[in-house]
Amino acid sequence: MNGHDMNAPMQPAARGINLVKVYGQGDAAVRALDGISIEFAPGQFSAIMGPSGSGKSTLMHCMAGLDTITSGQVFVGETELSTLHDKELTRLRRDKIGFIFQAYNLVPTLTAAENITLPMDIAGRKPDQAWVDRLIDTVGLRPRLAHRPSELSGGQQQRVAAARALASRPSIVFADEPTGNLDSRASAEVLGFLRTSVEEFEQTVVMVTHDPSAASYAERVVFLADGRIVDEMESPTADKVLDRMKGLGD
Amino acid sequence: MVRAVLKGLLAHKLRLFLTAMAVVLGVSFVAGTFVLTDTINKTFDTLFSEISANTDVSVRAVSGFGADSSPEAVRDTVPASVLDVVRRVPGVQAAVGSVGGYAQFVDKAGKAVTTAGAPTLGFNWTDPALSPLTLRSGREPQRAGEVVVDVVTAKEHKFAVGDKVKVLFRGPTEEFTIVGITGFGKADSLAGATLAAFDVVTAQRVFGKVGRFDSVEVKAAEGTTALDLRDRVAKAVPAGVEVVTSQQVADEGAKSVQQALGFFSTALLVFAGISLFVGGFIILNTFSILVAQRTRELALLRALGASRRQVLLSVVGEAFLVGLFASLVGLGLGVLVAIGLQSLLKAFGIDLPTSGVIVAPRTIIASMVVGLGVTVFSSISPARKASKISPMAALRGGGVEQGGSLRRRSLAGVVVTGLGGAAMLYGLFGGGISLVGLGAALVFVGVALLSPLAAVPMARVIGAPFPRIAGMAGKLGRQNAMRNPRRTAATAAALTVGLGLVACVSVLAASIKSSAAAIVDQYLAADYIISTTQFVPNISTDLAPRLARQPELAAVSGLQTGEWRSAGATRMLYAGDPATLGKVLKLDVTAGDAGGLARGEVLVSEKELKDKKLVVGGTLAMTFARTGTKELRIAGTFAKNQLLGNYVVSTATFDANYTDRLDFVVLAKAKAGVAPAASRAAVEKVTADFPNVELRDQVEFKKQQEDQVNQILGLITALLALSIIIALFGIVNTLALSIFERTRELGLLRAVGMSRRQIRSMIRGESVIIAVLGAVLGLAVGVLFGYAIVGALDDQGISKVVIPGGQLVSYVLLAGVAGVIAAVFPARRAARLDVLAAISYE
Repeated sequence: MNGHDMNAPMQPAARGINLVKVYGQGDAAVRALDGISIEFAPGQFSAIMGPSGSGKSTLMHCMAGLDTITSGQVFVGETELSTLHDKELTRLRRDKIGFIFQAYNLVPTLTAAENITLPMDIAGRKPDQAWVDRLIDTVGLRPRLAHRPSELSGGQQQRVAAARALASRPSIVFADEPTGNLDSRASAEVLGFLRTSVEEFEQTVVMVTHDPSAASYAERVVFLADGRIVDEMESPTADKVLDRMKGLGD
Repeated sequence: MVRAVLKGLLAHKLRLFLTAMAVVLGVSFVAGTFVLTDTINKTFDTLFSEISANTDVSVRAVSGFGADSSPEAVRDTVPASVLDVVRRVPGVQAAVGSVGGYAQFVDKAGKAVTTAGAPTLGFNWTDPALSPLTLRSGREPQRAGEVVVDVVTAKEHKFAVGDKVKVLFRGPTEEFTIVGITGFGKADSLAGATLAAFDVVTAQRVFGKVGRFDSVEVKAAEGTTALDLRDRVAKAVPAGVEVVTSQQVADEGAKSVQQALGFFSTALLVFAGISLFVGGFIILNTFSILVAQRTRELALLRALGASRRQVLLSVVGEAFLVGLFASLVGLGLGVLVAIGLQSLLKAFGIDLPTSGVIVAPRTIIASMVVGLGVTVFSSISPARKASKISPMAALRGGGVEQGGSLRRRSLAGVVVTGLGGAAMLYGLFGGGISLVGLGAALVFVGVALLSPLAAVPMARVIGAPFPRIAGMAGKLGRQNAMRNPRRTAATAAALTVGLGLVACVSVLAASIKSSAAAIVDQYLAADYIISTTQFVPNISTDLAPRLARQPELAAVSGLQTGEWRSAGATRMLYAGDPATLGKVLKLDVTAGDAGGLARGEVLVSEKELKDKKLVVGGTLAMTFARTGTKELRIAGTFAKNQLLGNYVVSTATFDANYTDRLDFVVLAKAKAGVAPAASRAAVEKVTADFPNVELRDQVEFKKQQEDQVNQILGLITALLALSIIIALFGIVNTLALSIFERTRELGLLRAVGMSRRQIRSMIRGESVIIAVLGAVLGLAVGVLFGYAIVGALDDQGISKVVIPGGQLVSYVLLAGVAGVIAAVFPARRAARLDVLAAISYE
């Protein structure tokens, strides 16, 4: 199923070593990440699951350079994030990382097409038009390109966001509850697209979710609880994930 | 509810501060104006009561203008014999005759000692028991050739007892020996005036009042009241002489200063009003944004059972508190503004004496009422909008972008603009200045109502180069300026007012400058213009006759001007030498005979003759302060001459009806065939003896006129600067609120790779567009205002509208720069947003 396994040892798209994230100080200190080590292989679709407060969002934010860790090391490709200043982190996010958030993914003053190419426009780079066209056709947004976000449905907005996340060919895409606000049909479209991007475009995708059926689109599920990795599952199905989650008490 | 309001305010101290700033500045201007004028008034009150502190009654000639106070100088003198009459009245302890006039020192470098507005006074030294003067060193002047100088002048010009000093008078310049230095009561000087005191005989001679006094000052004997003494003396004096208490004299003096200052204070209050008007725009805009942003919160309150009235009151209540805070701070700052205004006026040559700082109850009340009024009034419309929010809005998300039809608003805009324009034109062409002001205010409101229509296309054009300059950041900045046209327009509108007025004044100034040159060409025949820098006429009457004897000059005339009354209305007349007036000015006699001037007749301008329904050969009743009502025959008419007003008499007629003649200007024409260098040398040879005068040829004169206009333009622009600063605060405020509202979007942009620098550039772009938009609208309105006003000034000789293009363009560029400055703080705030907090912000 995953064609890259045979080429090992291959450099992971991103990895975290001994990640510790502490919020607050003294007695009030909370260890959101408590010594997590994790790798995301290139071309793999991973899901991170766990109950609320398990640290799954924190993990994603730290891996994506949106948040800083207390100790440990984060690598995106060969770059270690803790050595970077804001300017370099920003550039890394712009060029190497794609983002899909739960909501408010789009700039309301820009059209769908402009939102898709936003990271390249920010960088002042010409987008790879053939690639962008291919993405647009894959997400099925061609007729809606000239529309503003306010004229798009929630599912369409998330598909625009997904297309944007892939448009600059990032090394890794982080999706934070991308279907959290969608109905099941729209969810299936967004998740299907992410799956396709992995299978057809060899994109690396990491998705935080607490929806077992969303997780079933991934090739691998990592379970978090209390800031630690408690389990992993290959080739998940919704039922298997649900069973495991029950064990974690979500 | 009150607690909710208070908590809301305290939770957003910065917002409170920015909103309040708009009102604070306006209120401080109002308070500053009152504090300044009250302080000046108080200074003069003290001064005048000090002058009369040692006397009880004053004896003087009756004024032809009747009982209402008129400037002292134009009264007639009384014969010296009145002094003896008064001294014999029982109850008089002592009496002295007082005589004064123009006396200007010449310093050791040969330059005339000038003041910034205050008079240069000379008078006779009187018994210190009856005068406010107190010798500081030396002795009093006892005989011809002796003078006493005030402390300040002596100090500033290094005069010491024993020095020789030249003094300029109405007549020939004379030299004196300084025998004493005097203070004025406890003070060193009299409100910036220079003082020269002589023995009585010398004073009467140099002021042209031999055997006469301006007034007799009387001190009552022990046990006699001032009123008793007044009545007793009144019975003894001849007809044409009146007796008043010294208190009344002091009150009259203070009142005339107050009236003169009234103009000043009104002018300053107009500028304060403009600032508050602009502040009102900003309050309105800020509260509109706040209400829009708090839609959900307010809807929740409604859902929880708050009534519409309570919601409305919560917004008005917040405005009230902001207004209260702002008014108090503004009042405090007003004292500083008073000091600032004084130095501003001083920088423009208007020096006003002050001592201490007077904060009258009126100042406090006016500041509070105005500050609270503007804030609360401006919040009413947003508050009404808030009260109409349905409880259902709590359940719907966002709701930040306000909809509503622009059509009704635009229709209202057209009506208000039309009304304002009509009021303005009606005011300009006869309706009065307050209608012009009201009309202008309405036009600005109308334009503000209409401007959302223009905001999007204008922002698109103004921002057109931005994407090329700043890429995506520029593009987003432009889009942001266009996304909420009402907000952009309302923010820009505040700047529109200030820049509109600046543009209007610039057009006016440019037109006046061009017309002033035309007036000189059209109406002036003289080659040389001799004038002084003092506000009051102070050219010696000796100058013109001496110039007339120069063989290089063909014609010379000194000009005088004076007030007279007709049926209660005060009018001006001009006087000159009938033999030469027509040679130094282009005096075009259209009917009758100019020769009548020499026979004591009056020339009237054609237009005035028609307007007042006078006839050539008929008589005109003219009332003079000194001589009462005189019937003058109308000798003829002359075509409009901007330099001569409507009534012209001969210098002899002037002398017969006014005291203390001094020329305000002397005009000289060179003989044909004399080289300019030779004629100028001839004039300079004479003017060298009169160091207070300045000599200009026509070219220099035009330049000076231009400089004067520029100076006034500079002063007005400086006073309008405050309203422009307030408008910039408005931009800062709107941007800060918009950024707050777009936190989530900014977080997204940062997450997908926008650098802090690009975020700043984006905010800057939006700011520049708003500022330039406001400036362009302002310039358009201002130029139209300029056209209207110049049109109305046509018969003042300002006929040609001149649009100072370069200047207007530079205003737009400056507005752009101001936009960049206004964006500094909001841009930094936006760039510093914590990305993670921003994307998880709701």
